[in-house]
Amino acid sequence: MITVNNLQKYFSINQRQQGWFGALRGLIKPTQTVVRAVDDISFTVQRGELVGYLGPNGAGKSTTIKMLTGLLVPSSGELQVNGAVPWREREKYVASIGAVFGQRTTLWWDLPVIESLKLLQHIYRIPEPRFRRNFAEFRELLELEPFLNSPVRSLSLGQRMRADLCAAMLHDPVLLFLDEPTIGLDVVAKQRIRQFIAHINQERSTTVLLTTHDLSDVEKLCKRVMIIDHGRLLFDGALQTLQDRFGGKRELVVDLAEAYPTVVVEGAEVLAHNGLRVTYQFDRKVVSASELIGRVSAQYRIVDLSVREPEIEATVRRIYEERLLDREPATKGGRGSGA
Amino acid sequence: MKNFNQLNPVATMSRRYIQTLRFTLDIYRRLVAIQMRAQVQYRASFLLDVLSVAITMSMFFVSLALVFARFGNLAGWTLGQVAFLWAIVEVSFGLMDMIFSGFDPINFGRRIRQGTLDQLLLRPVNITIQVLGDDFVLRRLGRICEGFIIFALALKLAHIDWTLGKLLYLPCVVIGLVCFFGGLFIVGATITFWTVDSIEAINILTYGGSEMLSYPAHIYPDWLRRTFMYIVPALFLNYYPALYFLNKPDPFGLPTIMPFVAPLIGIGLLGAALIFWRFGLRHYQSTGT
Ligand SMILES: Nc1ncnc2c1ncn2[C@@H]1O[C@H](COP(=O)(O)OP(=O)(O)OP(=O)(O)O)[C@@H](O)[C@H]1O
Ligand SMILES: [Mg+2]
Repeated sequence: MITVNNLQKYFSINQRQQGWFGALRGLIKPTQTVVRAVDDISFTVQRGELVGYLGPNGAGKSTTIKMLTGLLVPSSGELQVNGAVPWREREKYVASIGAVFGQRTTLWWDLPVIESLKLLQHIYRIPEPRFRRNFAEFRELLELEPFLNSPVRSLSLGQRMRADLCAAMLHDPVLLFLDEPTIGLDVVAKQRIRQFIAHINQERSTTVLLTTHDLSDVEKLCKRVMIIDHGRLLFDGALQTLQDRFGGKRELVVDLAEAYPTVVVEGAEVLAHNGLRVTYQFDRKVVSASELIGRVSAQYRIVDLSVREPEIEATVRRIYEERLLDREPATKGGRGSGA
Repeated sequence: MKNFNQLNPVATMSRRYIQTLRFTLDIYRRLVAIQMRAQVQYRASFLLDVLSVAITMSMFFVSLALVFARFGNLAGWTLGQVAFLWAIVEVSFGLMDMIFSGFDPINFGRRIRQGTLDQLLLRPVNITIQVLGDDFVLRRLGRICEGFIIFALALKLAHIDWTLGKLLYLPCVVIGLVCFFGGLFIVGATITFWTVDSIEAINILTYGGSEMLSYPAHIYPDWLRRTFMYIVPALFLNYYPALYFLNKPDPFGLPTIMPFVAPLIGIGLLGAALIFWRFGLRHYQSTGT
């Protein structure tokens, strides 16, 4: 469905010079800096997949999506989506995709939501019965009813996002691109949008590529994630693989049957020891959970225990901050980069 | 016989082309209707706006008339004859500004900076039509009205010998001018893909050009006149046609066909501008957010 090979996008930015002399020089010979927003990325996405596209601010996520949606022409590399080269046959291509940019609406600012949607019906040449059917379904799922007649400019962020999602799906696109669809939303609104995304992915087999900074979006929705930083693809594989490899330390919490002066076991570190409750920290690479439990119960009498996995949030934060993936080829994460 | 159309690739292609054209025009009509509805929502204020522009702009002409009252003519042209030139420019520029406002480099530059071109590019409709349809300014009727008032004055004062040819050619001249200035707007808008600093230069060309065309060409110094004949061929757009309408001899002795090239030049420039615009779109960088 999506094939990307050695995709690059460079932006050249004209440096503004100080003073009028500088301005003059800038006119004659502009000083340009080059930003490598997307720097040699390759991947494929199959029909029906729901992929999370992650990365810190300025990583190049939006730039990738803009190339995939035909807004930007790549600097080099190959790009094929749904059998088309997006920027080359833009008009034909965009009829087959949907896109929501969380930062900005694609609806008409002054038009009531319902009229925006009806205008889109003409723009996408959606036959009336299909429009009615889709609209009825989305109206319910996204709870559009309360603000259907309000102009888009008067909507709250969450309402606007729901209207935008509906607008992006009315023409039954085979592909949906979502650039931070949950940005700035409260927990309930996020939940509703996640359900909607999961629904269209499952019921309609719409392929979805989603960027977000909220990792619970990814946890709830995506089996597969791609991580990008400084324009390079660092990881492409299952979320679970990421967790297994970079998940950091797990914790074992044990409630003892009686008090012991020391509670040391081999292969784990005592994080806390308060009366009858002990918290061990251990590394999955050194000892497995069952092994550790075996050792603890061999030495001490226990009443209860639980294993705490590190949060995905913390994992990804560590990947960004400590640049854990920096010098690895992306293919190692599991899935091949698909040639 | 029935399958003839399906088998003939040329026929199929042209039919598809016509379908696309009809679709695109239908969307244009809808977009413009939205703009119009929003603009005339407060009818009184809209009318007042149009009226006040018409009156203010007419005042410029009144001050010119005062100069004529003192000197009698302008390098051999009477007030009525200059009014004819002036009126054609005003009507054309007003029409152009109404239709092409989306490409006004100031508006388009803002669109680029704010990144709202993205949302147009996401829709499966010709992008040029969308830029036009998204910014249709009905209020420019004020300037068009002013043009008609001055045209009425020109008819009264200049005693034009109307022929069928002249009647038919008049709208062609207006179309030529609309295309010409529209083309300049498109060129200016396209340049903002690379830099927004050059907007002023383009505005000098469009607004300065329209100002200049309002007076007979032979009052200008040679270098300026030559620039606007051979580099930016604006003088063929209304000065030469005016010579034809007013039955005046050509002071520069160019071929007698020259009054009739106006629509060609206008349409030619618009075509070239559209090619440049297509090229510029490939260099669109969007915005960082
Ligand atoms: N239109 C542009 N002109 C110049 N530089 C740009 C442009 N768009 C993006 N960039 C630069 O390219 C890099 C990648 O930007 P991009 O918007 O793709 O990041 P992102 O991953 O979407 O970040 P965020 O999470 O903050 O949205 C950044 O350094 C940004 O400054
Ligand atoms: Mg972004």
